[in-house]
Amino acid sequence: MENTFELSVTVNGTSYQKVIDPRTLLSDFLRNDLELTGTHVGCEHGVCGACTIILNGDPVRSCLLFAPQVHGQEIITVEGLGTVDDMHPLQDAFREAHALQCGFCTPGFLTTLVPWLEENPNPTEEEIREAVSGNLCRCTGYQHIIDAVKLAAEKMN
Amino acid sequence: MKVEGEHLFSGTQQQVWDLFRDTEVMAAALPGTKKMELIGENTYEAVMNVRVGPVVGEFSGQLVISNEDHPTSYTMTVDGRGKPGFLKGVGDVILTNQGENQTLMGYTGEVQIGGKLAAVGQRLIDTVAKSIISQAFETLDNALAERVSAEAEGREAAYRKSSESDYAATVAKDLIKNVLKRTGSSEDS
Amino acid sequence: MTYKVIGKRVKRVEDPRLLTGGALFVGDVNLPNMLHAAFFRSDYAHAKIKSIDTSLAKEIPGVVGVYTAEDMGEAWEPGPPLVSPPPTLEGVVFNSRRQVPLVKDKVKHAGEIIAVVVAESRYIAEDAVEEIYVDYEPLPAVTNLEKCLEPGHPLVHDDLDSNLAAYLVQNKGDYEAAKKEADLVLKRKFKLDRGAAVAMENRGIVVDWDQKNQHLMIWDTTQSPIPIRNGMAARLGLRTHQVRVVAPFVGGGFGPKIMMFYAEEMVLPWLTMKLNRPVKWIEDRKENFYATTQEREQVQEVEMALSKEGRILGIKQKIIHDTGAFDPYGLTTPLNTQSHSMGGYDVQNYNSELFVVFTNKIIVTPVRGAGRPQGIYVVERMLDIASKELKLDPRDVRRLNFIPKDAFPYNHEIIDQAFVELVLDSGNYLPAYEKALEKIEYDKFVQEEQPRLRAEGKYVGIGVVPFIETTGVGPYEGARVAVEPSGKISAATGVGTQGQSHMTSFAQIIAEELGVEVEDVSLVSGDTAEIHWGTGTFASRGAVVAGNAVLAAASDVRKKVLKLASKILETPEDELELEGGLVRVADIPEKSISLGELAVLANPFRGAVEPGTEPGLESTKYFGPAYGATAFGVHGMILEVDPETMMIKIHKYIAVEDCGTMLNPLVVEGQIHGGVSMGIGNAYYEKLHYDENAQLLNASLADYLIPTSAEMPHIEVYHENTPAPNNKLGTKGVGEAGAIPVPAAFAQALENALPDFNLEITETPLSPNRLYELLYKSEE
Repeated sequence: MENTFELSVTVNGTSYQKVIDPRTLLSDFLRNDLELTGTHVGCEHGVCGACTIILNGDPVRSCLLFAPQVHGQEIITVEGLGTVDDMHPLQDAFREAHALQCGFCTPGFLTTLVPWLEENPNPTEEEIREAVSGNLCRCTGYQHIIDAVKLAAEKMN
Repeated sequence: MKVEGEHLFSGTQQQVWDLFRDTEVMAAALPGTKKMELIGENTYEAVMNVRVGPVVGEFSGQLVISNEDHPTSYTMTVDGRGKPGFLKGVGDVILTNQGENQTLMGYTGEVQIGGKLAAVGQRLIDTVAKSIISQAFETLDNALAERVSAEAEGREAAYRKSSESDYAATVAKDLIKNVLKRTGSSEDS
Repeated sequence: MTYKVIGKRVKRVEDPRLLTGGALFVGDVNLPNMLHAAFFRSDYAHAKIKSIDTSLAKEIPGVVGVYTAEDMGEAWEPGPPLVSPPPTLEGVVFNSRRQVPLVKDKVKHAGEIIAVVVAESRYIAEDAVEEIYVDYEPLPAVTNLEKCLEPGHPLVHDDLDSNLAAYLVQNKGDYEAAKKEADLVLKRKFKLDRGAAVAMENRGIVVDWDQKNQHLMIWDTTQSPIPIRNGMAARLGLRTHQVRVVAPFVGGGFGPKIMMFYAEEMVLPWLTMKLNRPVKWIEDRKENFYATTQEREQVQEVEMALSKEGRILGIKQKIIHDTGAFDPYGLTTPLNTQSHSMGGYDVQNYNSELFVVFTNKIIVTPVRGAGRPQGIYVVERMLDIASKELKLDPRDVRRLNFIPKDAFPYNHEIIDQAFVELVLDSGNYLPAYEKALEKIEYDKFVQEEQPRLRAEGKYVGIGVVPFIETTGVGPYEGARVAVEPSGKISAATGVGTQGQSHMTSFAQIIAEELGVEVEDVSLVSGDTAEIHWGTGTFASRGAVVAGNAVLAAASDVRKKVLKLASKILETPEDELELEGGLVRVADIPEKSISLGELAVLANPFRGAVEPGTEPGLESTKYFGPAYGATAFGVHGMILEVDPETMMIKIHKYIAVEDCGTMLNPLVVEGQIHGGVSMGIGNAYYEKLHYDENAQLLNASLADYLIPTSAEMPHIEVYHENTPAPNNKLGTKGVGEAGAIPVPAAFAQALENALPDFNLEITETPLSPNRLYELLYKSEE
């Protein structure tokens, strides 16, 4: 590699130092360099939301960032929200409400909703619909996702 | 995509006709032009850098002048391709004398685009095309003025080439104008 | 049948890994020494290739190779025909033309692959693609369905003398005679246009040739791993056991992922065997619009003869169906259209002439609905228009024409996509229709709500549309079920999973039969190493065909369990029961043996067995129906149109569906919701715009609009149950149902909302822009 960048970033609580090609997209860095393949790539145009991760507490599209742009910052991906034996209440709620079918868009919904629910603990259906209107899903028609969020809000309060 | 409009030039019909047949002027007028060469009678070879939103790259192709009716009208055919896709166009240019050193230039044409340009640049094409044309006219006006005064003073004309930053500024201006028009605000630059 | 586990709202066993980012999708496959492929695709839709210059691309550091058709030599071969025309139909014209791995001399649709770059990273590969220069001679593009058969029109395939891909006529009864008796003969022309599947996961393949083991591993986002394995082995001159295809978790299929072989599926295996390194290609979203198949474009001229009471005497139809540049999928889609152009109605006379044409657009293969929506659209629109002309209540017209429930099985005497006569196996349409009308409160809306809202200046309308859906077609599927020494169950089936919850719903069937917990069943779908025979996931057949194979295999295992347990426990079989992973004597629960222990005993390490014994507690069974199961339903919607912006809001949406026995109601509802969202997209937001050069003008999610949560209404789903008579589970498919009636219901509701405009909608998809044009044009 002619041009390189020494990236320092904390992901899901772990610090990483990696030498990378500076034009590596954050989504590719997470998936290929860190092998955290839970973050999915649906369009690379910033439209579908499947690649959403939490950067310093806010949900952002990882396909629209170059990895060097998150130098020195903190990221949480879907892997950091919960484990198979200890799922986040939102993940539990998704399962209970059948809010995922193929599961490809799901990580993006989770990383969008977790910060949002912290600020909106008691949302109405309309508020939920608007909150996830930037995440595309082709399988569920969104209804069970909305149900899951309502369920999670109840559980978390 | 249909392209049509008109522009009033401050010059005689003959001066405007000559302006349009001047290779150097044409190269200077179209923003992003890297090369414009007359390679045969009425045939130009051109290389242009095109930027439409996220789509950017070089186009190379040919420009052919035909149906010349000096000094009133002619047809221009364009066929270019490059990394951003391809572009095909045909248009008619008509000059009408408006008296007192005023010439009205009218143009109508059809442009077809393909490839990345069409797939992803679609929503910007209209605005960008208008911007290119309006900037071209600005440059041509300046060139014409320079030509007229050079003739009068009996010297060689010296043209200023339009730069890509001029072009970018014009596009930005036009985009903002469009938005303001749609939201009903008064035009303000 | 009262079930304990089947039919319950069981949480999915596959969810925890999917929810925590631990599930494998093809894009997640990362192998040591792996290379990345990127494709140079044609910008032009129709052009001769004069020359290809890959020299600059080859010089980029990190590029391992740049290949064109010439480099493939003898390995270059078009894909095999997937579905030939039905041998059972006479007088069929069929010109089979299939897609190629890399274009040799002429490009036939935008996006066709001309060259492939293989490099150490995707970034370098894409850089190199930009340095490839192709000199084209552009040709006029074939795009117009009605004009493309005119003599002298440019040809997509130069070795044919026209753009006709196929021609056939289906006939039932005598339409011309019926027409003579008619009080009303209606004639209309319909234009239906393209939509894309837009699964959230784009396609992808990873291939790995192991030279020492002479084994090819393929990960593919396919809906049909077994046929891919078979086809790949044949193409590459390998035995089937030398190729393994795995479709792991797949992010949505909806039809196009069963198309095979895609050019990329033909190129990548050749590359890995040539380079002796794994090669990976993942489609990006823009590529997906050009490289993955689409569907739905047709022009139809429909004529309907009716009595003055609204009884359908006959239907006559001419369909021009666009197959795109190639026709690997045969006549499946348009045959489905014909099969659904009579809806669930008793139509005795039907004559349908089908022209399938080649154009320079992307290849057409089924997308959720697969031709059915087009059939339902035209028949429902014609009935709506007829109701207006005859001044009848559109509800009465439906009621009058439904096939009565004692007329099943009902033979339509035409050929369907399964190459057999279209027989509707069962149905009870009237109660479902009445239920829909009741749930949407039709009378109340039309008599009270609508007039009140109109008086307030609001434009609200109602649409209720019944439909049928042929599902569960053959040829067959298989399933393997085995009890492991641990007592857990392992199972496998050939239908891949793209979100249909097979791992849970099939596990429910097994749990029911063997008395185990759903979580103790581990089902693999989509791995050719696990089961050898099968077709794939398409046409709403998973639950019916694979589900019944699972049942047959599980039942057989149950028999083996009982037989062995009866011997061990010295108790007759009919006194034994299976529960909690044990086999127990009904009245003496302490006398029991676990399934795990039985499995060990069934596979002795030493000693003699009774001749004719099969080891273990395992069974592989197949299910192949003679004809499919016909599901049906009714959708209703109340919508409001803003007459200035043309934006719509759906106030109420109900879906009555009858898919026979439900394996898992949560899953059924999910499928309906998803199908409706695609239907709403197809009705009002999604349209693939091609220009006269067959250029796709909206090849991104920013411009091809699929519904978001903000556009979707809340959908109330109601279930009816008319069990399918021809399979033990009594189940019917439901995967595509949601998408089928929506455009027709939309059109009905819009016309109902805008009565002053004299709107007659004969096209789909619509959009706010298009509605505006229709309204203002019809006012003139």
